Amino acid sequence: MKVFHFHHFINNLKFIYHQPTAEKVQEIREVTRIERIGAHSHIRGLGLDDALEARQVSQGMVGQIKARKAAGVILEIIKEGKIAGRGILIAGQPGTGKTAIAMGMAQALGTDTPFTSIAGSEIFSLEMSKTEALTQAFRKSIGVRIKEETEIIEGEIVEVQIDRPATGTGAKVGKLTLKTTEMETIYQLGQKMIESLTKEKAQAGDIVTIDKATGKITKLGRSFTRARDYDAMGAQTKFVQCPEGELQKRKEVVHTVTLHEIDVINSRTQGFLALFSGDTGEIKSEVREQINSKVAEWREEGKAEIVPGVLFIDEVHMLDIECFSFLNRALESDMAPILIMATNRGITRIRGTQYTSPHGIPIDLLDRLVIISTSPYEEKEIKQILRIRCEEEDVEMTDDALTVLTRIGMDTSLRYAIQLITAASLVCRKRKGSEVDMDDIKRVYSLFLDEFRSTQFLKEYQQEFMFNEMVPDEMETEAS
Amino acid sequence: MKDPVEAGKVLSHLAEIEVVAEEILSSRREIIDLDKQRNKTREAIRALQKEKKDGKMWLCAGNMFLKVENAKAVKILSKDFEILDEEVSSARARLKPKVTKLRDLEKKDDLKGFGLVALTSEERKSVESLL
Repeated sequence: MKVFHFHHFINNLKFIYHQPTAEKVQEIREVTRIERIGAHSHIRGLGLDDALEARQVSQGMVGQIKARKAAGVILEIIKEGKIAGRGILIAGQPGTGKTAIAMGMAQALGTDTPFTSIAGSEIFSLEMSKTEALTQAFRKSIGVRIKEETEIIEGEIVEVQIDRPATGTGAKVGKLTLKTTEMETIYQLGQKMIESLTKEKAQAGDIVTIDKATGKITKLGRSFTRARDYDAMGAQTKFVQCPEGELQKRKEVVHTVTLHEIDVINSRTQGFLALFSGDTGEIKSEVREQINSKVAEWREEGKAEIVPGVLFIDEVHMLDIECFSFLNRALESDMAPILIMATNRGITRIRGTQYTSPHGIPIDLLDRLVIISTSPYEEKEIKQILRIRCEEEDVEMTDDALTVLTRIGMDTSLRYAIQLITAASLVCRKRKGSEVDMDDIKRVYSLFLDEFRSTQFLKEYQQEFMFNEMVPDEMETEAS
Repeated sequence: MKDPVEAGKVLSHLAEIEVVAEEILSSRREIIDLDKQRNKTREAIRALQKEKKDGKMWLCAGNMFLKVENAKAVKILSKDFEILDEEVSSARARLKPKVTKLRDLEKKDDLKGFGLVALTSEERKSVESLL
C-alpha cells in the first residue's frame, strides 16, 4: 500500500519556522491520503505493437496472446467509430484475466471515448427498474461531440478613458485602447461597456477578453510587463503574457458529453446538481426521445458527431432473462455502444428460467456476439504477473520466494497468490527484514487458507459446525 | 544513416513538413495583417461618423490622396470592412486543412470535432452546464 503525505502550507513553511514570533505554525494542516491499489491497477493498456501483435509482457499484460490480439482488433473497430451495436463476450475460467483485458481496452481507448464499467449484479436495486439501470448504462457509453464557437476580442488594456458629462447626468462615453504583441487599436465605448468595465475593475495593464456576442468582459490577469508597477499586491494577482496575434480571435472548443448527462440536465429542474449527487432516479422516456431527436437533428446539420463508446458488463451471468431480451433489442439501436461482457460460467442455468445455456446467456443473444476466450496462465506467466504485482504493491521479494509463490499460484489460484504478497510483506516487516523470503511466504501460507484447504477442513470437521444435518440435495431445492 | 535512398526519403519527408509548416505560419501572418487592417478601417469609420460638419474629407488610397464627401467615404470604408471580414473568415477556413495536413505528416492523430458546425448560442444554453 502506498501512502502519500500531502502538506498544505498556508505560507512558506521554512519562512515561518525561522520566525520565532510567528504563531501561524498551527495553521499547517497535514492531510494523509491513502491511495488504494486495486486488483488491476497495474494494467496500462493491451500491450500491443503497431501491427496489433501482442507483446509477451507489456503495459502490465502478460500472456493471453490470442485474446489480447482479438481485443486489439475490436479496439480498432471502436476507434473507427463507424460500427455500433456490436457485442463481445470474454469467456474464461476464474483468474484468467478477463477483467484485465477489459480494463486494458478502456485504458487504450483514451479519454475521448466513453467507457462505462458495471457489474452484472449492480442493476438490481430498489430505486430503479432493471431496464432503467441498463438504459442509463447504455446512454453513459454514448458520447456526443459538439463544438462551441465564440468570437472574442483578447488583448492587454493600454488605456481606459471615460468622459463624464459636465452636467453630471446623461450618457457616459469612453475609449478603450487594447493591444497584442502585433497590433493596437481603439474602441469607442458605450454606456453598457463602461459599466461592465468598471464592474470588473479593469485598468491599464490588465489582460481581458471581451465576448463579441454578449459583450461580457473577463479579466485573465495582469500583464507580465506590469509586474513591477506596485510593491504590494494581493496573492490572487495572476500574471499572464500579453496575447499574440490578432485582436479579434475565434475560439473553438470541442466537448464530448454523454447522452446520459444530457438526459439528466434536461430531466430535472435543478440541473447539474443531480449529476454530482449521483441520485438521478428514473428518467422519463419522453425526455430521452426528445433528446434523441434533437441529437439526430444536430447530427443531420453537421453540428454533432456520435462517439459510440464501450459498455463493459462484468459477471454477465448475473443478468436475468428480462435483461438479456432488453440487450437483444438495445443492441439493434443505431446509437448503441460496443457491448463487452465477461463471464466465468460454463453451461449453466439462465437466470429467471429453467433452461440451461452456454455461459448462462440465451442462445439468441450469444448468436449476436463474438466470443473471445481466455485460457489459464502457464507457470512462467504466473511468475511474471506476480513479479509485476510485487512492483505495483512496493514489495521486494527474493527469487526463491517468488518461485514458491508461483508454485502456490499454480496449485491454488492466481488471486490467492496475489493476496499473499502484501500479507507476506507485512510478516517480513514485522521481523524487520528488507526482502520477503521463503519463510515469510510459508508463514502466510499456513496462516491463510486457500479455497481448497478450507473445503478440506470443512469436510473433516463437518460434524462440529451448525446445520450440518442438511443433506446436500435439500440445499439445492432450497436455493432454487 | 548509411543507406542513401533511405536518407533521401527522410530528407524529402522533412522538407515536406517544413513546407506545410511554413504555409501555416504565413496563413497566420495573413490573418493578423487582415485583422489589423480591419481594426484600422473600423476606427476610421467611427472617426468619420463622429465628425459633425458635412464636408469633404481626405481619403488615402494606396499612395494617392482623394478628396471625397464624408458620407461617400464612410460608404467606401464600410464596404472595405465587410470584404476584410469575409477575408479573415476565409483565411481561417484555409488554415484548418493545412493544420490537418501537417498533423498527418507528423503522424499525429487528427484533431477531432473541429470540422463540426458550431452550436448556436440558443442550442448551447441547453447543454451549458455540461461544458
